[in-house]
Amino acid sequence: MVMTYPDEEFLGKLQAAFRGESEEHLLAISCGLLELEKSPDAPRRAEIIASIFRDAHSLKGAARAVNLPQIEMICQALESVFSAWKKRDVSADPELLDPLHRAVKTVEKLLPTAEGAPPPADHDELFRLQDELARLEVARPARPQEERSGRAAQARPADKIPAATSDEIQRSTGQASPPALAAPPQPAPESPQATPDQPPTDAAAASGATRRGSRDRGSHPRSTPVSPTLRIAAAKLDALLLHCEELLALKLNANQGASDLHGIAMTFTEWEKHWAALTSDVGNLRQLIAGGSGKKSGSMNKIDACLVPVSLAVRLLEFLEWNQSLIQSTEDHLRNFSKLADRHRHNTAARVDGLLDEAKRLLMLPFATLFAVFPKLVRELSRDIGKEVELRILGAETEIDKRILDDLKDPLIHLLRNSIDHGIERPERRITAGKPACGTIELAVSQADGNKVEILISDDGGGIDAAKVRTAAVRHGMLTQTEAEKLPAHQALALIFEPEVSTSEAVTEISGRGLGLAIVREKVEKLGGRVILETRPGLGTSFRLLLPLTLATFRGILVEVVQQVFVLPTANVQRVTSVRPEDVKTVEGREMIVLDNKTVSLVRLEDLLDLPRRSSREGVRFMPAVVVESADKRIAMRVDAVLSEQEVLVKPLGKPLERVRNIAGATVLGSGHAVPILNVTDLVKSAMRIRPAPLAAHISAPVEVRPRKSILVVEDSITARMLLKNILEGAGHRVKTAVDGVDAFAILRSEEFDLVVSDVEMPRMNGFDLTAAIRRHKRLGNLPVVLVTALASREDRERGADAGANAYIVKGSFDQSDLLEAVRRLV
Amino acid sequence: MTAQKHSDKKEILKARAHLLAQETPAADKSEDLVEVVVFRLADEHYAIESIRVREVYPIKELTPLPCTPPFVLGMINVRGQILTVIDLRRFFELPIKGLTDLNKVIILEHRESELGVLADAIIGVQSLCRQKIQPAPSILTGVRGKYLLGVAEAQLIVIDAARIMDDQAIVVREEVAGPSSP
Repeated sequence: MVMTYPDEEFLGKLQAAFRGESEEHLLAISCGLLELEKSPDAPRRAEIIASIFRDAHSLKGAARAVNLPQIEMICQALESVFSAWKKRDVSADPELLDPLHRAVKTVEKLLPTAEGAPPPADHDELFRLQDELARLEVARPARPQEERSGRAAQARPADKIPAATSDEIQRSTGQASPPALAAPPQPAPESPQATPDQPPTDAAAASGATRRGSRDRGSHPRSTPVSPTLRIAAAKLDALLLHCEELLALKLNANQGASDLHGIAMTFTEWEKHWAALTSDVGNLRQLIAGGSGKKSGSMNKIDACLVPVSLAVRLLEFLEWNQSLIQSTEDHLRNFSKLADRHRHNTAARVDGLLDEAKRLLMLPFATLFAVFPKLVRELSRDIGKEVELRILGAETEIDKRILDDLKDPLIHLLRNSIDHGIERPERRITAGKPACGTIELAVSQADGNKVEILISDDGGGIDAAKVRTAAVRHGMLTQTEAEKLPAHQALALIFEPEVSTSEAVTEISGRGLGLAIVREKVEKLGGRVILETRPGLGTSFRLLLPLTLATFRGILVEVVQQVFVLPTANVQRVTSVRPEDVKTVEGREMIVLDNKTVSLVRLEDLLDLPRRSSREGVRFMPAVVVESADKRIAMRVDAVLSEQEVLVKPLGKPLERVRNIAGATVLGSGHAVPILNVTDLVKSAMRIRPAPLAAHISAPVEVRPRKSILVVEDSITARMLLKNILEGAGHRVKTAVDGVDAFAILRSEEFDLVVSDVEMPRMNGFDLTAAIRRHKRLGNLPVVLVTALASREDRERGADAGANAYIVKGSFDQSDLLEAVRRLV
Repeated sequence: MTAQKHSDKKEILKARAHLLAQETPAADKSEDLVEVVVFRLADEHYAIESIRVREVYPIKELTPLPCTPPFVLGMINVRGQILTVIDLRRFFELPIKGLTDLNKVIILEHRESELGVLADAIIGVQSLCRQKIQPAPSILTGVRGKYLLGVAEAQLIVIDAARIMDDQAIVVREEVAGPSSP
């Protein structure tokens, strides 16, 4: 057979690899440009230009390889600029660097996305950019240079520049237009001569706007990993390899164990040979005894004594003695083996744990890998809205689990945007307030006690005004005026984490949609962390994020509800308690219990999860309930059982399930079962949503009029089994399941059932045989049996009736009402 | 093993034999061939391009997932990886009739995303001539046409797995809505 890979498939793979590579180069270029802007000394400048030149060059080559000519074109232009600057030391004012930053952004936009082909580019814009870059090749040098005159001639011919844009280019590059170039012979005019508030070019504004537009679209940005490729310290890999090598010992242990067991098994082969040789003797002996005991008179002893030939007795005795010594030595072997196995188990545990630790350490990345993009982001965002902001980063070398880092990207960007947009004031206002015109945002990471890390994002802006938050909350109908006035300041401030409350009067493009902080808190809580807000009016605001360093120590509580198991993150669980029916109060149709002198609403977990309510738990004295907390709200959830607490490894749900209500992920239990992990933040929100329960309190409800029946469903197909179970449980019956006839018969003998619903075609014991076995059994004889089968022929139907089935339902025309009708009729 | 089970197996083996007996289209025009995995779901035979099929996995355990659309049957653990399992009939909005066995899950992969699709039985692997896959009138198949590559000989419905996995309709992205107005 021939596999045909469409060319586009292959190209797609190449482009994905290219994406990873190019992001690295682009980041390096923008970091270099940002450093240039800070006016480093000449040798460092040269160093930076040389390095970003290499990046532009590599990127150009890679773009050509994957057939992305537009990126190649921009990179070519960038390369030319840097190459020219390499030859002549160029002073770098922000205005001069703007087109370069824009070029980087344009390339970012042109990168192929995970979904495939890159978005189409605007050709005019590309040409404009190319021309602007061409002008930079002859940018004003830092020192007078002799070779300059020749350079101007190398600029792109004027006819390629669209007439309408040449004006803009001159503005954007300040006085760097070619005629002005030859002018200043003075050394190093480091300070930009262009006025800082000069409007950006239309092209820049337009490209900036579309970029922000696309980033802000949709209220829930998808979290993207920090980087698809990783750089790992060689030392970490060495350590990992060392641990892997130690696994060789385990392999040898396993070999040893296998051969030991094999040896033991072989002795039994020998034993069988001996036994086989003796079978005729044993048969003879049996006959002798049978014959002897048939005689009317005489004791057994006498018969034995006279009838058993000595040779036979000797052979049997020999065998018994040999047997005894064999068992003895086998026992020794097994005891040794058991000791050895214990030691191996110990070894294996230690080595596997060591390896796992090492592998986890591999995934520990410094915060710097995430923070690298932030200076550029802050620069762009603040320039766009006419503010001056400096970002100070501390503790970026702290390492944290990569998976946490990936999930922190969006929250941190939200918080930075928030600080720039709402926190830092405009320069005029800052000066009036006696602060420096340039605001400062500090991003500081420090290791808190134990396995915790603290991220502090603080600004020296205006702080959050509690009164404004109150007003916003009232405007959105979250509180009444009187409630708002009564609310203490710290509780009022907590409202900014609620969706839809935003204190900024104007919704801007950068932030101010009001959802940002709600998402920040949700994401941080999902990681098992907390957000603490502190603000001092006029002096600034700080957000403190407390997070675990690794995800491994995640513990969960296993609960069961309507026969399904779920995991609740222990971090969100305040306590597990049991509730007596008389403790439950009904307030406005909602059930409440009192905990620590506070009322907490009591909800059923199955209601929160939209699972069908089953089993009225009549006559139950205590109901287990789990008290969870999120976003400062507490609820108590009734469950059927609290099973255990254990370490769980969080796994994401498969791709198409990007976000499921109330479910955060999944884990695999020791038994191999996949179990959903619940999202407590969502559950608390869901609890606020569900309607008050009908007044007939289900706890004190009288026993149902129609008694429930207990039914055993026997079916080897898991999906059919689940379907049958759901239908029957939906009708109010109690259902247990078995996977085949043998399994079913074992269950039937130990428990009481009112009815059996069974498939026919099953391994080990089929439905006909099961029915026959039930009919033969003394106690089970009258148990009604419904056969559900794919076999539709009359013969099969008769076979079922012969075996003693009470009803016969054909799968092909299966309808749940048929089944329920049959059940109703039979019990 | 019961006689019934046996005859069922025979049926599948017969179908496989039938496939093998078919003349392989001229090998030299290899670029026109598509290799497909043929499976049975309810009473229909479907095919999926084998380059999209990572493996076929016997389903032993299926954990239902609450708060998901009906086409999501649940999730399974495949050697430590959690995979979503869907019922194509529900995704295609076909009438659900009868009770099927759905004992196998076909694991599809496309652009770094993976998905399990339930099947009653796997018939086998077959090569189809690309030209012979005819566009399917949706009245004929009942399946929404955009998810199909077409219909091949013997009424084999060829599914466009990439199209399904790229489709926004299969993506679940749901938040808990805001508090209900009192």
